[in-house]
Amino acid sequence: MSASDFLILNHVSKVYRRNQSLLERLKKGEAGGTRAVSDVSLTVRHGETMGLVGESGCGKSTLARLVSGLMAPTSGEINFPPNAAGNKPRLQMIFQDPYSSLNGRWTIEDIIAEPIRVHKLRQGRAAIRARVDELLVQVGLSAADAEKYPQEFSGGQRQRICIARALAGEPEFLILDEPTSALDVSVQAQILNLLRDLQKNLHLTSLFITHNLSVVRIMADRIGVMYLGELVEEATSEELFRKPRHPYTRLLIDAAPDMDTSDRSLHPIAGELPNPAFPPSGCRFHTRCPFAQDICRNTVPPQKTTETGGMFRCHFDLDLSNASVFPPPAKVKTA
Amino acid sequence: MITSTAPLLDVRDLTVTINREGGLVTALDKVSFFINPSEVLGIVGESGAGKSITGAAIIDLLVPPLKRTGGTITLAGERLDQLSPKAMRSVRGGRIGFVFQDPMTSLNPVITIGQQLCDTIQAHLKLSGSQAKKKALDWLDRVGLPNPDVQFKRYPHQLSGGMRQRVVIALALCADPMLVIADEPTTALDVSVQAHILELLRDLHRESNVSMMLITHDLGVIAKMADRVAVLYAGRVAEISPVGELFNAPKHPYTRGLIRATPMPSATGEMRLDQIPGAMPGLGAVPPGCAFNPRCFKAQSDCRATIPPLYHAESSAFSCFHPLERVTA
Repeated sequence: MSASDFLILNHVSKVYRRNQSLLERLKKGEAGGTRAVSDVSLTVRHGETMGLVGESGCGKSTLARLVSGLMAPTSGEINFPPNAAGNKPRLQMIFQDPYSSLNGRWTIEDIIAEPIRVHKLRQGRAAIRARVDELLVQVGLSAADAEKYPQEFSGGQRQRICIARALAGEPEFLILDEPTSALDVSVQAQILNLLRDLQKNLHLTSLFITHNLSVVRIMADRIGVMYLGELVEEATSEELFRKPRHPYTRLLIDAAPDMDTSDRSLHPIAGELPNPAFPPSGCRFHTRCPFAQDICRNTVPPQKTTETGGMFRCHFDLDLSNASVFPPPAKVKTA
Repeated sequence: MITSTAPLLDVRDLTVTINREGGLVTALDKVSFFINPSEVLGIVGESGAGKSITGAAIIDLLVPPLKRTGGTITLAGERLDQLSPKAMRSVRGGRIGFVFQDPMTSLNPVITIGQQLCDTIQAHLKLSGSQAKKKALDWLDRVGLPNPDVQFKRYPHQLSGGMRQRVVIALALCADPMLVIADEPTTALDVSVQAHILELLRDLHRESNVSMMLITHDLGVIAKMADRVAVLYAGRVAEISPVGELFNAPKHPYTRGLIRATPMPSATGEMRLDQIPGAMPGLGAVPPGCAFNPRCFKAQSDCRATIPPLYHAESSAFSCFHPLERVTA
C-alpha cells in the first residue's frame, strides 16, 4: 500500500442469497445464491479514473454499490485509506437514467442544494443559492434554470443536473454507473467532454462503469474487465487495447462493430453468457474461449501480473495484440 | 416479378402528424426514400428523429395520436397507403416482416414459440398443420436454435434474450416476405450477442435475398450491415448515401457531426470526440428553415429562412444548402 492509494478492494465478494426453505435452514448447509462479485481485488490511486467494463450480469453495478457503501460485501474488505486530515473521502454517485434519478416535484435549486445542506458546506440561503448558480454554470446550464423543474429539461440537460448535484457535495470520489448509456450519441459526446474537463479541473478520483469499450477508453486511465463477477483483466487503458492478455478482453474489443465500411466482418463471441448463478467450473470463460484446454475446465486460473503492473486471470500467456491470431470460432448454435 | 430497376419499396413525401390539443404537430415531414430489391437500407438518427415512426407508418401500425396525413407508400407496385385495414393485415407479417427492439414484448408470453411460428405461417401461407410445423421447425433450425424439437415446445421466458430475438427473426421471415423492417434489432442485447444476431440477419438476407430496412441509432451496426443509409433528423431526411460514401465523404454537416461524436478509435488508435452543440429540437419546436441550423457550423441566413429541398447527386441525396466538400478527412 502506497501513499497514493485512494481505494483498496481486497478479495471482495458479494453473494445475493435466495430465500432458503425451512428444510435447508434446518440443515444449516451452505446457502446457495448468486455470486454477483467474486474475489475482486483492485486498487484505485489518487486522481485516477478507473474504468470497469463488462456485459450485463458481470457484477459491475454490484461492485459500484459495494464501493459506495449502499451494500456490505459478503466477504473481503473495502478500504479508503484516510487522508492527511484523517477523514474518509466524500463520495457521490451519478446514475444511468437521468429520468428516474431526479425528483420531479423539486426545483433544480432544491435538488442541487440538498447535498450542500446535508454536508453543511455553505451557510445561509444566499450562499447556497450562489453556489447552486455557480454549479449550474459549471455544468453548462444557466443560473436561471434553478427555478425550473426536471421535466422541463432534455435527457442530456438532466444528466448535467445530476452531475451538478454530485459536484455540490464537493466529492473527492465519484462513482459513475453508465452515465451516458441512456443518451443519444451527440449528447453523449457533450457529457463525456464535460466529465473529462471536470475530472481534470477538480482532480477527482473516479470509478467509471460502462458496457461500452470505446467510452471507457476515452474516459479511463486504467480499465478493469469483468466477466461473471470476476475481474479477468486489469491494465492501463493504452495497454489493454494495444496488448490485451485475456481472451475475453480481445473478443470483447472485436465484438463491437466499428465504423470501417471496407471491412464488414463481424466478430461474435462463440456461445452465450452463462447464468451468473451457476458459473462454469475452472476458468469461467472456458465455455466460450477459443483457446480453452482441459486445464481451463478444471482449474481456476491464477492471477498473473504483467511487467507493466497489469493483472490478468488466464492459464496461458497469450499474445493477443493482433486480432488475426484468432482461430475461427466453431459454429456454435447458441446466441 | 419486378425488374431490378424498379425499387421494391418507394416512400414519397410520407408525413405523420400528432394531434395534440390545440393543433397538429408534425412528427415526420415529407420523408422520401426507396429500397431496391435485396438491398439493406439503414435508417439512422437520434431518438426523436422519426426512425421508428417511419417503420411503423409503412405497415400502418401508428399508435394514435400519431396519424399518417400524407404521402405515398408503394410496395412492388401496390399502393400500401390505399389498402383497407383488412388488406393491410395480410401485408403485415406476410409481405412485410417486422423485427422489434425488445424480444420479450414482441412475443406472446403464454403461447409456445412453436405455436406462434405455426400460427404466423398458417395465417399467411396455405399450408396444412403438419406442413406448417415442419416449416416452423425448419426455421428454428435456420435461426440457430439448438434442438428445434425441444425449443418448439418452450415458452419465451425459458429462452435468453439472444434466443428470443432469434425467434422474433424467424417469425419475421417465416412467411417469405419481400421486405423485413428491423427496428433496433440488437439494441437490447449485449455486445457479444449483438454480433451473433447481426451475423444471422446477414446470413438470412444473403440466402433469401429479402430487402431489409434496418433502423438503428448505432453507426457501427450501420457500417457493417447497410448498403445505403438514410440519415433522419427531426422528422426529415438529412442525407441518403451509399454506406461507404456516407462514412468517408458525408454531405450533410449533421451526418459528419454524428460520425465524429461517436466514440471510436481512429486508424492510428487515437480517440477523438467532437460534440455537436445543443440538442435535437423536440416535436413541435422545430426551428424555421433547416431543422439543424441552430447546431450547424455552416448555417447562414438562407438556412434559417427556407427548408432545404432534397438535392439528388449521382448516388446520394442530401438536404443542405451548403453541403460539405468532398475532402473532409
